[in-house]
Amino acid sequence: MPLDENLSKKIEEVCLDLRVDSAQQDAEITEDLGGVELPKVSSGLKERRKLERRNKDKIIDVIGVGLCLLNKELKITWANKTFYDWLNLKDSPLGKYCHDVYHCDEIGTDSCPAASVFNGKAGGIIETWIESGSMKKMCVQHVAIPIHNRDGNINSVLILTIDSTESEKTVHKLLLLQKLGEAMQGTLHLDKLLHLILTCVTSGYAFGFNRAMLFLVNKKHNVLNGKLAVGPSSLEEANQTWKELSSKHSSLKDIFKELDFSHNIDTPFNTMAKLMVYSLSDTREVVIFCAKEKKPIIIKDAVNDPRVTQEFRKALGVNEFVCVPLIAKNETIGVIVADNIYTGEPISDDRVSILTMFVNQAALAIENAETYKRLEDKINQLTEAQRRLISSERLAAIGSMSSYVAHEIRNPLVTIGGFAKALSRFTFTDSKIEANINIIIEEVKRLEKILNNITDFGKPSKPEKVDTQVCEIMVNTCILMENYFQEKNINVRKEFEADVPDISGDPTQIKQVFLNMLMNAVEAMPDGGDLDIKIRRAMTSIEIDIVDNGKSIPKEVLQNIFDPFFTTKPNGTGVGLSISLKIIEDHGGNIDVKSISGEGTTMTMTLPVISRKGVCSNDDYPSR
Amino acid sequence: MTTILLVEDDKNQRLLYEQELKHDGYDVVTASDGKEALEKVQKQLPDIVIMDINMPKMDGIEAMGRILSKNKAIPVIINTAYTNYKDSFMSWVADAYVVKSSELSELKGKIKEVLANKAKDS
Repeated sequence: MPLDENLSKKIEEVCLDLRVDSAQQDAEITEDLGGVELPKVSSGLKERRKLERRNKDKIIDVIGVGLCLLNKELKITWANKTFYDWLNLKDSPLGKYCHDVYHCDEIGTDSCPAASVFNGKAGGIIETWIESGSMKKMCVQHVAIPIHNRDGNINSVLILTIDSTESEKTVHKLLLLQKLGEAMQGTLHLDKLLHLILTCVTSGYAFGFNRAMLFLVNKKHNVLNGKLAVGPSSLEEANQTWKELSSKHSSLKDIFKELDFSHNIDTPFNTMAKLMVYSLSDTREVVIFCAKEKKPIIIKDAVNDPRVTQEFRKALGVNEFVCVPLIAKNETIGVIVADNIYTGEPISDDRVSILTMFVNQAALAIENAETYKRLEDKINQLTEAQRRLISSERLAAIGSMSSYVAHEIRNPLVTIGGFAKALSRFTFTDSKIEANINIIIEEVKRLEKILNNITDFGKPSKPEKVDTQVCEIMVNTCILMENYFQEKNINVRKEFEADVPDISGDPTQIKQVFLNMLMNAVEAMPDGGDLDIKIRRAMTSIEIDIVDNGKSIPKEVLQNIFDPFFTTKPNGTGVGLSISLKIIEDHGGNIDVKSISGEGTTMTMTLPVISRKGVCSNDDYPSR
Repeated sequence: MTTILLVEDDKNQRLLYEQELKHDGYDVVTASDGKEALEKVQKQLPDIVIMDINMPKMDGIEAMGRILSKNKAIPVIINTAYTNYKDSFMSWVADAYVVKSSELSELKGKIKEVLANKAKDS
């Protein structure tokens, strides 16, 4: 460690002084040898002693430690110059009690180091704050050292007063760092945390930078994104803020308490920061360079520093700033940029090294908060899914419950109302009977109306006809059946004409038809085969061929295949083709079948391009 | 004389429909479940079947399937308290679907309509 400049200067002076003194001494001694007069010699000895004492005093001064001797009454018998300076003494302290001079409260207690030493115990160290001659607050430690006389008794105590301001400052900083760290680790809300971090960087109580800006790495887009900036936008604002702060005497605790997240949000500085985005591959930018190098970078002269682009310097508007990377688990997650734009105070290495320690903790806290946020999002998604599930299950339960109750009530209602109606056909001599029957009929009607409302609750919405592209539906149906085709060893060949027009139809129903038809075709080829699907445009309709080369349909069966419940398959229901035909007819179309023995079967569906309105509505129950 | 096979498990309702349809001049044969309906179809050869769905032993849909697979010329009208079977593909093969109501005019109307269609086809 280099010696303090002041100290080394002082040592030099003292050394020079000592050399001059010894030169004088040598000259005197030579003189002494020349003469024989004893008194002169004794006066020479006195002189030498005086000189030696002066030299000792000088050396003692250089040590930079306050010294004083106390007698058994704890009165000061001697003190050095440093002692005078530090305690800012105008009058001589000699003969005064030490606690009066030190303004010390330890007198008479066990912790008084001087008293302990006189009693033969080890002297403890006490620490106090004093205001020195140069009006500087100093932290000092007092150490008592016993001084023994020839008989081995302690007749006086030397008090060493040591300046511990610097080490005290370091301890204070470390404590602060710890407190900030604790506060950060306790904050899981990401926005709050970022704000807290930058507030610490800018608060006078902590790091005292004028402004600070935080960037976070966005891995998805491979960029470094400006997230938040804290600090006054102009000198006037800065003065105003500092004035307020100094009048408030904010402590760290107060800062946390009063941390207002809306504050500073709309500042031009913050807005500018949020618009800053740099690609992570662009290492010409100092922030990116810092993120890649994972080391803090102090820029002293931005104008002449090749690491700073002109744009970045202009955006910041300052010539001296520091970039510190946020590193969590050996990976850079962001960068903090801080400057002293208003005070112009130089950024020292010391400040940066302690800032770096802080920023490392901040990075871990951000990492935690981000993980927490991801977890929170996942939990929210889960909760939402669960909520929907419960809601739909509850709806289903209500639906089935209400439908059960409704049907159980509907049956007896039909009987009651029906018989009442039957009764009303008779003529009664008493008009009251007729009136009463009518009341029964009306009330039953009212109940039935309520039941209709309930049972409609769980009903699916009616199919709607929309512009439908048949080719698209066919492709989707084939995708649906892909595995089935493979399993059955079916080779599918699609042959769709270009520009097949849309038809008006219900895509779900048409898909159902295609599914039935393809299924039938595959079942006709138990040992595999070729399946051709052709879609083409006819005059005012489109035609869809489904051609298999499997076993053909016998003539006597062919005329029945569209009849409901007619089936030749052992597990068939016999409704597939009849429903298909019904759907196609509902769409104003037709199905035609040709089957040639030994060649296979061709099913041709015809669907009109412009459906005839009114022909096909699901509301009307069609006749068979 | 037109013969109607009425399949209905509820005793009182069966009585109601029988009375009403007889009043309208139909010949009415009744069955109280799907199995009985199959037997009556074979014996009586009705002109039309009115079929309830929820019944013990054999439900109306199954009974309808069996009747139609043997004799597809017999028209079937589904008459049920349930509206949801209306959307089922299975019930689409019936000639008509009527939701039970104390107002019997809808059922009566459908019977006439279906019988008229049958007469036209044959």
